[in-house]
Amino acid sequence: MNILAICFVGILTAVLSISIRRYNSEIAFIITVIGCIIIFLSVLLNISSLFETVRNILSTASVEFSYVTILLKVIGLCFISEFAVDCCVDAGQRALANNISIAGKVLVLVTAIPLYKDVLSTVLSLAGGGV
Amino acid sequence: MDVDMIFKIAAIGIIVAVLNQLLIRSGREEQAMLTTLAGLIVVLSMLVTQISNLFGTIKQLFGL
Repeated sequence: MNILAICFVGILTAVLSISIRRYNSEIAFIITVIGCIIIFLSVLLNISSLFETVRNILSTASVEFSYVTILLKVIGLCFISEFAVDCCVDAGQRALANNISIAGKVLVLVTAIPLYKDVLSTVLSLAGGGV
Repeated sequence: MDVDMIFKIAAIGIIVAVLNQLLIRSGREEQAMLTTLAGLIVVLSMLVTQISNLFGTIKQLFGL
C-alpha cells in the first residue's frame, strides 16, 4: 500500500461525491463513507506485522501481556469511535457525533480501569499501605 | 483495495437520479420515489457489508 494510491482514492472519492451530491445527496454521503472504509482497511491490513513487532518488543522488555492487550484494545476503540464520529459529522449530525465520542471515552476509561487499579496498588505498596 | 466499489456506487447514484427525473417527467411520482428508495437500499446493503468487514478487521487486529 503506497501513499500515492491512498491519495488517489481520496481525491477520486471527493470528486465523485461532490459531482453526485446535486442529484442524490444520500448516495454522495455513502460514497464518502465507502472511500474512508477502503483507505482505512488498506492501511489496517498492512500493519499487522507492526503489532507482532510491538508484542515482541514489549515481551522482551518483560511488560505483562495483559497490559499490551489493554493498550491494543484502547487503540482499537479510539479508531472505531473516531471513524463513526467523523462519519456523523460529515452527515451533519453533530449531536450524534458528540454522543458517540462520549461513549468512546467512557468505554476507553472502563477498559483501562485495571491499569489504574494496578498503578494504585503499586503506589500504596510503595507507601507502605496494603490494598 | 477495491476502488471498483466507489465507481459502482457512483454509477448506481447516477442511474437512480436519471430514472428519478424520467419518472417524474412522465408523471409517475410514486414510482420515482420507490426507485430512489430501491437504489438507496442496494447501496446501503453494500455499505453495511463493507462496514462489517472493517469492524471485523479491527476486532481481529486489536483483540476487541
